[in-house]
Amino acid sequence: MSWAFSNLSELGHLTGQNAYLALVPVLIGLAVSLPLGVLSVRYGWLYPPMLGVISILYALPALALFVALIAYTGLTDTTVMIPLAIYSLASIFPSVVDGLRAVPDPVRQAATAMGFGTWRRLITVELPIAIPVVIAGLRIAVVSSISLVSVGGLIGIGGLGYLFIDGEQRDFSTEIVVGIVLIVLLSLVSDVILVFIRRLLTPWQRATGAAELRQFRRRSASFGHAGGM
Amino acid sequence: MITFERVTKRYPGGTVAVDELNLEIPDGQTMVFVGPSGCGKTTSLRMINRMIEATSGRILIDGKDVKEANPPLLRRGIGYVIQQAGLFPHRTILDNIATVPLLIGRSKADARKRAHELMDLVGLDAQLARRYPHQLSGGQQQRVGVARALAADPPILLMDEPFSAVDPIVRASLQDELLRLQAELHKTVVLVTHDIEEAIKVGDQVAIFRPGGKLVQVDSPQNLLAAPADGYVEDFLGFDRGIRRLSFLPAGTLDLDLNGVVGQETSAAAALAQAQRAGAAWLLVVDSERHPKGWAAAANLASAPGDTPLSGLPLTSTSGHGHTFRVDTDSLRAALDATVLSPTGQAAGLDGDGRVVGLTSYDRLKTAIAKADEQARAEEAASGIQPGASGAPSGEEVTAS
Repeated sequence: MSWAFSNLSELGHLTGQNAYLALVPVLIGLAVSLPLGVLSVRYGWLYPPMLGVISILYALPALALFVALIAYTGLTDTTVMIPLAIYSLASIFPSVVDGLRAVPDPVRQAATAMGFGTWRRLITVELPIAIPVVIAGLRIAVVSSISLVSVGGLIGIGGLGYLFIDGEQRDFSTEIVVGIVLIVLLSLVSDVILVFIRRLLTPWQRATGAAELRQFRRRSASFGHAGGM
Repeated sequence: MITFERVTKRYPGGTVAVDELNLEIPDGQTMVFVGPSGCGKTTSLRMINRMIEATSGRILIDGKDVKEANPPLLRRGIGYVIQQAGLFPHRTILDNIATVPLLIGRSKADARKRAHELMDLVGLDAQLARRYPHQLSGGQQQRVGVARALAADPPILLMDEPFSAVDPIVRASLQDELLRLQAELHKTVVLVTHDIEEAIKVGDQVAIFRPGGKLVQVDSPQNLLAAPADGYVEDFLGFDRGIRRLSFLPAGTLDLDLNGVVGQETSAAAALAQAQRAGAAWLLVVDSERHPKGWAAAANLASAPGDTPLSGLPLTSTSGHGHTFRVDTDSLRAALDATVLSPTGQAAGLDGDGRVVGLTSYDRLKTAIAKADEQARAEEAASGIQPGASGAPSGEEVTAS
């Protein structure tokens, strides 16, 4: 513990680097998944081949990709971020497609019938309705990206992954445990932030929760009452 | 006026959804497209706002071909109500209703003010404005759907099976609501349904389609029930069309019986004498205001002490044994129903103040129906229209009936 406190600024720097290396690729993955997802929903035949390619890329070992990319991008952040961005597609792309497909047909038809053009319908109706499913995919992508960054430690760009390698080489388990704890904390905080963003963007879902909660309270209140009799 | 001119929809592969449809839908009327699945009724509706493009033929709105309009702009001028409402789940009720006013560039404040007015118009509680669609019942959602379609005050309202996803009681109240709205707004309404009862209830004109996209008959509900064009229409109308047709004939045409009505101060002996004179097994007892008190059986009168007034005898109630009917506002169907349900085979027709006008009988109903038929035939002869003309109706047929 005292080791952790005496190295706070170094740990803070590594955590920040880990967050940066993990989250930027997820944002890139989202930026790529949105247009690909929209295309796959419009032209359904595109979806299976696209998903196939993404799944194959996802199957490539991270370390192998890092090493292969060093030849092109050198020992830079980019070398770590490109594979992570590709991996994030595996959970974000299907969630964009599922989210858009979950828009009820009558809603889509009603929007068209009221005079929404294709783009306006996509941006003001379909994407907002897809948000909960897309964010569910983002949560998986963020957490796995945060833990995958540490593999980059093997090529010297790994955020908190540095602690594992350093700790292992020095036979100093405290450092490894602190690394694990910080990665878990970083994942938790990121996840909570995403849940918060979802609640902010989907007030209509909150209304469901509120209504269900009210109903639940009413029910449990009446149970309590019956019990008292 | 919406005009279909030889409109055909053929899908790749050769399926014909709509086959050479010719039809005129006059302004301010409710036209119902009805038929079984696969008859092209929904396709025909959706070709009006170009949700589906016709393969050949023309659809004109007030003389202008819809093909010449930009589809989103065309659609903003035509209200559309879809089955299951199709409300935007991520927007409040108020914002759902304000959708089209915002699309056509009205200010947010203006659009919301209009949305509030419409909530009132369709009978939605103002407190629902801030709710989300999933917090409403199916019937309330469908009201929102109607309000949303009317928000920009379009002259035309397309309704695609609007009430088929709600339970029968809610459906009936939504149908009543549509009739009330239409009496107030006079939109040109085109409504698609597979329910002939609904078609007959809400339609000024009913267009019956057959599988394969053929229009079989267009006529007013009365004329359809009276004179179906062919066996298909007759089957489609069902086995009770003769009875349903009576809904359109006023009970006022009945010649009601007065001999079977007796005041409650009359003695049992005098009442028995009246019953024997009239050959009636039952007498309807009324008070001094002529409000019905109950039925007295002639058989019971004979066994009662002769000087007992009828008010002192046990009577068979008129309520709990079917119902009475209003002579001035009800139809022959209500009169027939009251007669069928009555334990005496006669039913009391009342005026607006609940006073007995007279009694029905099956014979009197038969006479009234025959009289109404004769009158209808005379009117048809006068206007020179063949009953049950079918296929491609001319504008005169549509407007004359």
